[in-house]
Amino acid sequence: MSGAWTIVARRELADLWLRGRGFALLVAYSVLLSATTYLVATNQAINFIEQREAVGLTLQVAVAVGALLSLLAAADALSGERDRGSLEALLLAPVPRWQLVAGKGASALSLWLAAFAVAVPYVWFLGHGIGLVAVPLSAGLAVGTLLAVAFAAMGLAVSAGASTSRVSLAVCMLVLLALYVPTQFPVGATTGWAGELLQRFNPLTAGLHFLGRLVIDGHGAFEEASWLAAPALFVTAAVAAAAVAARRLRLSGVRE
Amino acid sequence: MTAVEATGLTRTYGAVTAVDGLTFELEEGRVLGVLGPNGAGKTTAIRMLTTILPPSSGRFAVAGIPDGSEREIRRRIGVLPESAGYPARESGEEYLAYHARLHGRPAAEAVAAARRLLAEVGLADRESALIHTYSRGMRQRLGIARALVNDPAVVFLDEPTLGLDPQGQRDVLQMVRRLAGERGVTVLLSTHLLDEVEQVCTDVLILNHGKVAALGPVAAVVSRAAAPRSARLRTGPDRVEEAVTLLAAIHAVSAARAADGRPGEVTIELSAELAAPAAAAAVLATLVEAGVPVAEFTLEGGRLSDAFLEVVST
Repeated sequence: MSGAWTIVARRELADLWLRGRGFALLVAYSVLLSATTYLVATNQAINFIEQREAVGLTLQVAVAVGALLSLLAAADALSGERDRGSLEALLLAPVPRWQLVAGKGASALSLWLAAFAVAVPYVWFLGHGIGLVAVPLSAGLAVGTLLAVAFAAMGLAVSAGASTSRVSLAVCMLVLLALYVPTQFPVGATTGWAGELLQRFNPLTAGLHFLGRLVIDGHGAFEEASWLAAPALFVTAAVAAAAVAARRLRLSGVRE
Repeated sequence: MTAVEATGLTRTYGAVTAVDGLTFELEEGRVLGVLGPNGAGKTTAIRMLTTILPPSSGRFAVAGIPDGSEREIRRRIGVLPESAGYPARESGEEYLAYHARLHGRPAAEAVAAARRLLAEVGLADRESALIHTYSRGMRQRLGIARALVNDPAVVFLDEPTLGLDPQGQRDVLQMVRRLAGERGVTVLLSTHLLDEVEQVCTDVLILNHGKVAALGPVAAVVSRAAAPRSARLRTGPDRVEEAVTLLAAIHAVSAARAADGRPGEVTIELSAELAAPAAAAAVLATLVEAGVPVAEFTLEGGRLSDAFLEVVST
């Protein structure tokens, strides 16, 4: 059945947005984005931060956290079914396993898209005075989608093999932590060839750096395109891992 | 036509062999009770036959479709897994319609099938209720309905009565009987309810330590594994001694004695040299000829539960 993934996706979307925690996550995200926007806007008012930088910071938070939401949903997608004892019934459907996984992935990505939609008015609020709306929004959508697809695929791959949701979430959080840590390094640690290499290799810092170059520094997208190599590689690897995990999807995860 | 066929089906987990060389055939329209103590390999066997678990070795075919065509097999089977979980915040109708859609039914047809099946399993009045409001018995019935969304040729029910009260157990087993009778599907039923298996199933497969311990029609397995070797007789309390003396003297009886603490009852050990019915006939003829009244005569050891215990204890 070629369109089974859409059936799975529709059901998962209903589960996430009508019956699940989609809105709760989005509300928490909105609170975080509001706080970030308020802080950068007030800092900007007392000249501690430039307006372009305010737009860039808010966008970076929106992209990083929005992609994280997709990861959270994906990490629970298959291991959650396993926890609830409903995976076996799903595996018994005469549907290619990749379609089951793809449907769940599509639902997880909806969190990113919703998060991006929430971020639009914040970016507009901060950037419309200096004519900086279209570039940050288009770049944010591109980079955020890249990262969200990669995170969702990674979450699905881990979820397919994990025996429980707790294990799946723990593994994903560990990987995420490893990716996020460099974003908190002091400026000194990110300069020089070693610092730049570290930033370029880390798909998250590379993606956020790309946004910074475009939005804060006003550089062109083609000029800075090399920063997207790591996120693109990450997407490829994560989607490949999810495809392999889908083919090997079993009732008890990797223990079987 | 053979509905289920397994040849040397084996599944190992490291050094542990969960199912060891399972070989059997089940004809279309039969109801096979799969029995065995905990850890005997029942669920593993069912999971292999339903394509959930790849066998370590051996071959099988379900509904005429050989292993290797997993998706084709899944199209033709219905399964109620052991300890199946259900989405708490979905209604029964949504749940069934979703699975019907996954089995290729168009949306409108899936909803119609869901309603029809809910009515069939006695949940018509709960079709819009969320599953978390269902009792355990209702969830099991919902699970059976889900197993039927694709009009399967073979249905596998793994412990469908687990955790149900006696009424719930009876409801589920009646449903199994109806399935086989009205729909004509082949059923593999794993359960611990031996008496009910005796009533519902045509055949029985007893697994022990992953191996086939007994296989065949229920009556044949019972008679082969647990031919009656003893009997109980009730007569007047004042005739017990006479009955014991008479029975001890005949060839069909190896021992007879008054039952301790039960006035009027005689315990009889039947001779192994005669078939149980012949020995029983000889006992009754001797007593009737001597004018000893017989209020009750029961052959013991002729039930599936006796066969089960005998088979799994060896």
